[in-house]
Amino acid sequence: MSAGARVYRHGIAARTAHWTWTLAILVLMMSGLQIFNAAPYLDASDKSNPARRVLAFDAAQNAAGGVSGYTVVFGKRIPTTHLLGYTDDGMGAESERAFPAWLTLPGPQDLADGRRWHLFFAWLLFVSWVAYLISAAVRGTLRELVMRPDDFRKLWPMQLYYLRLRKEPPPHGTYNPLQKLTYNVVLFVFFPLLILTGLTLSPGIDAAVPWLTALFGGRQFARLWHFVLMALLLGYFATHLVLVLTTGFWNNMRSMITGWFVLGKHDGAGP
Amino acid sequence: MKRRLFVASSLSALGLAGCGPVKESLTTGPFRNVLASAENLNRTVIGTRGLAREYKDSDVDRNFRVNGLDTPSDSGYAALVRGGFRDYRLVVDGLVERPQKLALAELRAAGDHTQITRHDCVEGWSAIGKWRGVPLATVLAMAQPKPAARYCVFHCFDVDQSGEFYYESLDLHQAAHPQTVLALDLNDKPLDPDHGAPVRLKIPTQLGYKSAKWVKRIELVADFKTISGGAGGYWEDQGYEWYAGI
Repeated sequence: MSAGARVYRHGIAARTAHWTWTLAILVLMMSGLQIFNAAPYLDASDKSNPARRVLAFDAAQNAAGGVSGYTVVFGKRIPTTHLLGYTDDGMGAESERAFPAWLTLPGPQDLADGRRWHLFFAWLLFVSWVAYLISAAVRGTLRELVMRPDDFRKLWPMQLYYLRLRKEPPPHGTYNPLQKLTYNVVLFVFFPLLILTGLTLSPGIDAAVPWLTALFGGRQFARLWHFVLMALLLGYFATHLVLVLTTGFWNNMRSMITGWFVLGKHDGAGP
Repeated sequence: MKRRLFVASSLSALGLAGCGPVKESLTTGPFRNVLASAENLNRTVIGTRGLAREYKDSDVDRNFRVNGLDTPSDSGYAALVRGGFRDYRLVVDGLVERPQKLALAELRAAGDHTQITRHDCVEGWSAIGKWRGVPLATVLAMAQPKPAARYCVFHCFDVDQSGEFYYESLDLHQAAHPQTVLALDLNDKPLDPDHGAPVRLKIPTQLGYKSAKWVKRIELVADFKTISGGAGGYWEDQGYEWYAGI
């Protein structure tokens, strides 16, 4: 198909899933930080163990008589006042608080409501993820998305094309091999691992499925994995946003809202 | 380029300025009930399946972290502490055939269960303790719940600043779980006042706030809606889930 042609790129299932996940992940991240604030440290162990603390946030009196916020990474203290450790408490002041109120849901300290948001939207993410996979499998669109051996060979040429060291992208279907890899990692690694590590924070699940908790190294370790996966997903989200903005923002948005995409010179490439 | 900048900056402005009031308004009212519906789903899926992992003696936290409040300020409780809990009686009443008033020695004689389990706080931290006491099911069997009884409500000695007593509740399935225990000892010593002396509930399959400290009375009821805030527990009345398996 030639440049300028209009193609129906995203079916209704993919578009619904895309925006449901956008909303769910936004709410899950913000409510997750609210929950995290109640115990702002992460240990690589089953029970809490300061000797195995990987990341922590706290606040302490500084030399000037005020209070400074700190991020403690593997025991190394980094001052991060206003941003982390000693931050906006959502009530018009700053206090000892790992993540600021403008990043958490609800804003002010409220573990109970943070959990309500988090657990509801976790269900929404899980159900919409399963529904999308079933729908994509039935309609056959899952085949366009799942990585095949051939795609792995095309990863490097595609990377060279992105780095402008190669004129043409390698021939590919609806999604280019790098896109496919990214979406596969998000859909088949990040999503399930985020759900599973989240579940193992629950004492009821730990009793019902003890091997799952053991697999992640225990409850606190699962909490660490859950946080790291969240950070990686945030990294994906930032990259995704940059690519959406730089590869024809309105065209991309239209295709994800109405389904219709106008082809460029080398397309299928998109975010 | 300009358009991109504009979009990016308006998006971030929306995020920073607009979110505050929106966030707060969505947290109250009917929308909150929608969010709360997830609790029933969690309870149905997880239920009371399985046993909490049991650990080795060497895994135990010798200085077990105190969850919730320290020693209650209640004057009746202080008198019991001074008397070494000689006058303490655990009351089991409500919808039962044989109401009980059990001294500590009678409780100890009723059963002997030891577990080394992980205590998971709703805040996120975990600690491992060795709990010894009598299974709750044993004590309930002594009192013989009537067929109408569906929940046991644990009334406690501690009172918060506004005069609310701590209480908790379990349904009879959760109460019958083999690891649901009325603990008398922690780490081979009788419970100290900070950890809930002389009797506390320990239910390792749910979050820490369910494991009520300083239990003075277990009341069997058909429903807990008329008790205190009506949500089945002190923290539940403040918005936390009644089903705390997750």
